[in-house]
Amino acid sequence: MSHDGHHSVVIPAPGPEFVPHTVAHHFDTPVQEFQAAKLGFWLFLATEILLFGGLFAAYFYFHESYPETFRLGGRQLDWKLGALNTTVLLISSWTMAMGVRSAQTSQKQKTLMYCALTVLGAAIFMVVKFFEYKAKNEHGLIVFSELFHPYDGATGSIPWFKDYHGVMAGVPHGHLFFAIYLTMTAIHGLHVVIGAGLILWVMKGAAKGRFHAGYFLPVDLVGLYWHLVDLIWIFLFPLLYLVP
Amino acid sequence: MSAHHDDHSHGALQMGHHHVSSSAMFFNVLVALLILTVITVGASRIDFGSANMLIAMAIASIKASLVIAIFMHVKWDTAINRIVFLSSFLFLSLLFIFTLADHATRRWDHEMHTTRTPVDKQWVYKQHEHAGDH
Repeated sequence: MSHDGHHSVVIPAPGPEFVPHTVAHHFDTPVQEFQAAKLGFWLFLATEILLFGGLFAAYFYFHESYPETFRLGGRQLDWKLGALNTTVLLISSWTMAMGVRSAQTSQKQKTLMYCALTVLGAAIFMVVKFFEYKAKNEHGLIVFSELFHPYDGATGSIPWFKDYHGVMAGVPHGHLFFAIYLTMTAIHGLHVVIGAGLILWVMKGAAKGRFHAGYFLPVDLVGLYWHLVDLIWIFLFPLLYLVP
Repeated sequence: MSAHHDDHSHGALQMGHHHVSSSAMFFNVLVALLILTVITVGASRIDFGSANMLIAMAIASIKASLVIAIFMHVKWDTAINRIVFLSSFLFLSLLFIFTLADHATRRWDHEMHTTRTPVDKQWVYKQHEHAGDH
């Protein structure tokens, strides 16, 4: 009996390596708890789609305005590194799906293993991303140290866009592609880092045996978040690295 | 709360019925996604002219549909969850349609000399001169 006179619903553990789950007292049934959380999370993911949607709308607008600038900009990126990162994210999406499945079927060690592989994918992705940004910095296409220096209206020079090799300087609005590239990949990269942190948090709970066939909600929701990160990249790869 | 007592007595407390996809299905989707990535790169090498963007986005949409339907379990999710998530794409299409409609109907600076301005040019220049006086 809890303080308000309601019974706390407890989902029993399926084995000795697991712990039971107590349903939050404001829910009547485990199904209600699960569906409420799931609906809330889908709503959150819808807002994520709209957040990136605004950036994609900006991309399409500028691509339509300066298609040749964008194609030339895309050729300054290494499509092989983009393809590598696409492959890494797709595989990590698969390991995450397998991690959720392992939790659903009460396989503790497999849940931990697949989650760890997903975090490894996130780490590889960010390391590749780091070297890509480093190359852009060296070519003066995105000078990170001057990213937040104000635009000089008198000379019309953009502090973060030096273009040491001069490949983009001659084309109209040459800096625009790299502004879009950095904004979209940086916000996506932030999601990769947050996603990896959430998976580590899920692993902490999984190690304690909190997730099993009776209760796997956090694994499920974090899995959905990770698939969204993959989903966004599926569109970023052709738009940024293989500019149509 | 007699319903709770009933649940306890049955001992079947779960989060409800959930679809557990087979490992083979997940693996097949991964293989399909990787093959589609190769197709994405291959298609970008061929110039389809103005259809380039359409083709690239069509392949990406097929990949996205696989991730959403299978990896994200939307295929087996409740109707309300499906509606909530998929409606975001409906609103996204509104954003794209109105943004690109703006682009298609906008008069660009480099076209100024060929089209009539809605405001008398002399008036615009006079405003600029006044601004310079201060």
